[in-house]
Amino acid sequence: MSNKPVYDRTHHAKMATGIGDPQCFRGKAGPAKFKEGDRVRIKDLPDLFYTRTMTYTRGATGTVVKLVYESPAAEDEAFGNEDHPEWFYSIVFAQKELWPEYSDSFGNDTLETEIPERYLESA
Amino acid sequence: MSSSTREEVLRHIETVGYMQPALHKQTHAPSPDQIDHSLWRAYTRTSHDVGGEPDVPIVWTEKEEEVWELNTFATCECLAWRGVWTAEERRRKQNVDVGQTQYLGLPYYGRWLLTAARILVDKQFCTLTELVNKIDEVKKRAKSDQGLGEYLPAKTK
Repeated sequence: MSNKPVYDRTHHAKMATGIGDPQCFRGKAGPAKFKEGDRVRIKDLPDLFYTRTMTYTRGATGTVVKLVYESPAAEDEAFGNEDHPEWFYSIVFAQKELWPEYSDSFGNDTLETEIPERYLESA
Repeated sequence: MSSSTREEVLRHIETVGYMQPALHKQTHAPSPDQIDHSLWRAYTRTSHDVGGEPDVPIVWTEKEEEVWELNTFATCECLAWRGVWTAEERRRKQNVDVGQTQYLGLPYYGRWLLTAARILVDKQFCTLTELVNKIDEVKKRAKSDQGLGEYLPAKTK
């Protein structure tokens, strides 16, 4: 008889069945720290083991376009930790802000991406 | 603060360009004083974060999925439906945990398949011994011309 610990591997499936993900986390992140139009800077948190906040956005300043959904950050969800959902924001950056060599001929180009709240600070 | 972060980030993106899998080089164990902060960050970064890395252009070709690729996808989705992993766990294992050499070196669905086997071992749904024995059994069966079982052709689109 095995004495290995038994985990509930289906806890996430149970949460999301019939509702969907990230809908199953709706209302669980508490009040959002930022709102549409806020200027934010991306923190350069340690990028160890897993992250989906691209290095090239770090230290750059952008604008909140939209609060998109509540979800555990990738750093948590990738290891099966779903207890702390947070707000995700769609942030728009000027390409020139991200890539110093970006041509001035395309100075209006932008890039929009979703970033969890833990990476944002007011700019 | 922000501008020094930007300098570090841009220097980092440049450093990782040197870190392509170096098949032409013998691996060497550096002494600790040979690894400064920049190299440490480049080595320990998540291998899927390739945005901005200098690289040569690659040729884009359109190609239909092969049957084993579709089957691999279905298998991985079943593992999700049965609560074995979430998409984020899968992506971590197949894009980052594999390391840069495998990330850049193996075909896309090859990494999915490798990761499906890995999650079963890591979460103790099967032991590595059972997996190895199964692979060995299937290899022998393939060699003896008995076939690998029922073949299900892909549905035409």
